[in-house]
Amino acid sequence: MAAVTEPMEHLNIECLSSYGPQPSEALVLLPQVMVLGMGLAGAFLYLIRLARGPHVTWNKSSNPEPWNKLDPTYQYKFVAITTDYKNLKKDGPEF
Amino acid sequence: MAENIGEKLKNYRTAPFDSRFPNTNQTRNCYQNYLDFHRCNKALSAKDQDVAPCDWYKKVYQSLCPISWVEKWDEQKENGSFAGKI
Repeated sequence: MAAVTEPMEHLNIECLSSYGPQPSEALVLLPQVMVLGMGLAGAFLYLIRLARGPHVTWNKSSNPEPWNKLDPTYQYKFVAITTDYKNLKKDGPEF
Repeated sequence: MAENIGEKLKNYRTAPFDSRFPNTNQTRNCYQNYLDFHRCNKALSAKDQDVAPCDWYKKVYQSLCPISWVEKWDEQKENGSFAGKI
């Protein structure tokens, strides 16, 4: 009778807690979690940069065209390769 | 400023760089200049000033916008169904 029940010993409920990585084994996954976290943080921060940008209209009645309130030397991009931002001026006539 | 605009209109080649629209997608640049042309006309004629300086905006939107868009918007303006605020 013991020979028949032996294989089933590994399937009773108390054995389930020892499946999955032990804490010591799980440490190797730490770099993946760190990189995933950095990716999520970066994506979230860039989303905030886009939301605060001048190309978005959040309130149609009080601030319908935020890009028109910018100074002509305003630089949105991080790196300006050929554009000389300091000498830009408003082109069209005032009205 | 009017003499300056005359000079600029005479030497006009194409739409200059506009820092409000630095990216490849220039749709809003086209639309903004179209709106600005009509707003300028409305504002300067309300003040009884010469509307000739507004031609700067017209030249810019003609450089940037697809002709079909301009025709569509002009038609909508005549019908009174233009969606933009002028």
